[in-house]
Amino acid sequence: MTALPNLTPAYAEIFLAIAGMALLMLGVFRKKDPVRGVTLLAVVAFAVAAVLALATNTSADGFSTVTFNGLFVVNAFTGFSKLLVLLGAGLAMMLALPWARNEGIARYELPVIMLFSVLGMMMMVSANNLMSLYVGLELQSLALYVLAASNRGNLKATEAGVKYFVLGALASGLLLYGSSLIYGFAGTTSFAGLADALTGAQNNVGVIVGVVFVICGFAFKVSAVPFHMWTPDVYEGAPTPVTAFFSVAPKIAALCLFLRVLVGPFEDLMIQWRQVLTVICVASMLWGAVAAIAQNNIKRMMAYSSIGHVGYALIGLIAGTQDGARGMLYYMLIYLFMNVGTFAVILSMRIKGRYVESIDDLSGISKTNPAIALALTVLMFSMAGIPPLAGFFGKYFVFAAAVNAGLIPLAVIGVLSSVIGAYYYLRLIKIMYFDESAESFDRPDASTGVVMGVCALAVVVFVLLPEPLLAGADAAAAALFQG
Amino acid sequence: MAVGLSHYLTVSAILFTLGIFGIFLNRKNLIVILMSIELMLLAVNINFVAFSSFLGDLVGQIFTMIVLTVAAAEAAIGLAIVVVFYRARRSIAVEDINELKG
Amino acid sequence: MLGAEFVAMILVIVYVGAVAVLFLFVVMMLDINIAVIRQGFLKYMWAGLLVGGILLAELITVFAAWKMSDSAEMLRAAPAPDPNAMSNTEAIGQILYTDYVYLFQASGIILLVAMIGSIVLTHRTRTGVRKQVISEQNARRPIDTLEVVKVESGKGLQ
Repeated sequence: MTALPNLTPAYAEIFLAIAGMALLMLGVFRKKDPVRGVTLLAVVAFAVAAVLALATNTSADGFSTVTFNGLFVVNAFTGFSKLLVLLGAGLAMMLALPWARNEGIARYELPVIMLFSVLGMMMMVSANNLMSLYVGLELQSLALYVLAASNRGNLKATEAGVKYFVLGALASGLLLYGSSLIYGFAGTTSFAGLADALTGAQNNVGVIVGVVFVICGFAFKVSAVPFHMWTPDVYEGAPTPVTAFFSVAPKIAALCLFLRVLVGPFEDLMIQWRQVLTVICVASMLWGAVAAIAQNNIKRMMAYSSIGHVGYALIGLIAGTQDGARGMLYYMLIYLFMNVGTFAVILSMRIKGRYVESIDDLSGISKTNPAIALALTVLMFSMAGIPPLAGFFGKYFVFAAAVNAGLIPLAVIGVLSSVIGAYYYLRLIKIMYFDESAESFDRPDASTGVVMGVCALAVVVFVLLPEPLLAGADAAAAALFQG
Repeated sequence: MAVGLSHYLTVSAILFTLGIFGIFLNRKNLIVILMSIELMLLAVNINFVAFSSFLGDLVGQIFTMIVLTVAAAEAAIGLAIVVVFYRARRSIAVEDINELKG
Repeated sequence: MLGAEFVAMILVIVYVGAVAVLFLFVVMMLDINIAVIRQGFLKYMWAGLLVGGILLAELITVFAAWKMSDSAEMLRAAPAPDPNAMSNTEAIGQILYTDYVYLFQASGIILLVAMIGSIVLTHRTRTGVRKQVISEQNARRPIDTLEVVKVESGKGLQ
C-alpha cells in the first residue's frame, strides 16, 4: 500500500475546496437570502485560507516543501503570491455584494464559482510540474469564463463571455501544445527535472519552440500586448465587480506563475525568452499608454491601464534577478490596491440607482461628491506614478532592477511610456475638478465605501510603512532564487 | 513503411494548425470555433501519447487523460456560453459578435 | 502501435459519448437556419494559408530534429512497464490514483465547476409550471375539498 502523501503544505487549498462545496450546499438549502450569507462566508474562507497558506509555508529558511509526488510546492514565494491573490479576491468580493443586490441579479453560485477560481489560482501558483500548472490554470479559467458571462440577460456580458472563452481556450491550447513539445524534447514535465535537463543543453530547438508557445499562452492570460485583444471588451462587457476581480486576482496569479516558470525550470534559456518578453513588455507599456487616451468608457480605460501595468511588472521579470522579482512583487501589491480602489470608485458611480461608466459622468464631482473625487484623485496620481504615492515606488523598484540588470533601454522606455500614460490619468482629475458639474452620484454602499477608503489610504500611507509590507516580498523573492 | 514518431507529430501539427485556422478564418458560426478548439486539444493529445510511447514514460498518457477531462469540461462551458449568447442575440454567427469593438 | 490502449479507448468513449452528444444537443437546441455562405471568406483565406503553412513547416522541421534527450532516460517519472508483464491499463491505474492523485482530484473539481457553471448560465426557472407538491397533497383532508350538498328536488345545482 502506498502511504497518503503529505497533506500539510496543501492545507489552504484543501480547506478552500471543502469550503466551496460546503457553501454550495448552504446556498442550495438555505431558503432565506442565501447570497449574502454565502458571500460573507466566502470572504471569511479567503481569510482562513490566507492564514493557512502563510502558516504552512513554514520553511522560512527559503527552502521549498514539495508534496504529491513533486506536483505541488510551497515556499515563501508561493505564500506571498497566494496572500496577494486572496487579498484581491476578498476585496473584489466585498464589492460584488452591494452590486448584486442593486442590480437584482443576486445568485449564490457566483461567489462559489469565484471561490473555485481562486482555488485554481492558488493551485497554479503552487504548481511544480507542467501538469499541475495546466490543471490549476484551467480551473481558474473555466470559472472565469462563467463569471464573465454571468450577467446572462445582458448582450454585452454574453458577448464578453464568448470572446473571453474563445481566446482563453486558444491560449490554453497554445500553452498545452508548448507543454507537449517541452515534454517530448526534454523528456519530463516536472520543473526540477526540466531544470536538470536544460542545464548546459544548448540549442534544444524543440524546447525553445515549446517555451515560446507557453509564453504566448501566458501572455494571453496576463493580457500583454499582442495577445490583449480580449481585455477591453471583457472589461467593458463583464459585470463591474467581476471586472474588478479580473483585473487583480488572475493577473497576479498568472504573473507570479510566469515568474516562477521562467526563472525556475527555464532559467538556462534566459537569453531566448528575454528577447520574446522584451518585445511583449515594450509593446504593452506603449500601447497601454497610447490607446487609453481615446477611451470614453472608464472600464475600457482601466483595461488599457492594466495592460500598461502588466508591461511594467514584466520589466521585473525580464531582469531575471532577485531584485527584479522583488520589484515585480511590490508592483503587484501596489497595483492591487490601486486597481481595487479605482473599481470601488467606478462602482459608486451611480445616478438615481443606475450604474454609469462614462468618463463624462465624472465631470465636476469634486463639488457634489468631494470624498469620491478625493479618493479617485489619490488613486489616479498613484497610477500615474507621482512621487509620494505608492505607484511611484512600484515603478521605481522595477526600473531600478532593470538598470541593475543592465537593461537601461527598457527602463528608459518604461519612464517615457509612464509619462504618456500620466496624461489620461491626469485628464480624469481635470474633468473632476474643473469641468461643469453634472448630476451627483448616489451615496455609495457601505462596503464599497470602506473598500475605496482602505485602498486610497493604503496608497497614501505606503511611503510611511513599507517595511512590514515589503519584508514578505523580500523573503518571497529570496525563496524563489534559493530553489 | 514503419510508422515513426515524426509521422505522429506531423499529423498532430497539421491538426493543430487546422484548429488555429478554424478559429481565425471561420466567418460562419461559433460552434465551428468550439470544434476547432477541440481539434487543437486532440492534436495535443496525439503529441503526448506519441512522445509518451517513444520516451517509454507513462506521464504523457496521464497528461492526456487530464487534457481529455478538461476538454470535456471546456466543451460544456463553451456550449453553455454559446447558448446564453444565442438567447441574447438570436444568432450565433461570428459576424454578429460586434457589440463591443476591441 | 504505440501501446496506449487505455487512452485510445477512453478517447473514443468520451468523445462519442460526451462531447459529440453535447455538441449535437446544442446544435439541435439552437435551431439555426442554414447559414448563408458569407462573402469575404476568400479574402482572409490566402493570408491565413500563408501563416498556417509557415507555422506547419516550422513545426515539422522541429519535429524532424527530435532525438531522445540525453537525460530523458534518467528523468522518467513513471517508466512504462514491459507490456508482457503488465497491461497498459493496469500500469496507468497503478499510478493515476497514487502518484498523480492530486491531478485526479483537481480534475474532479474542474468537472464540478463546469457543471455548476453550465447550470448557472443556462438554467431558467420558468413561471407557470405546475409541479407536484407532495406535502400539500398529503395535507389534504376530505373536509377541505369535499362538500356534501343536499339538492332539493326540482331545483338542481347552481
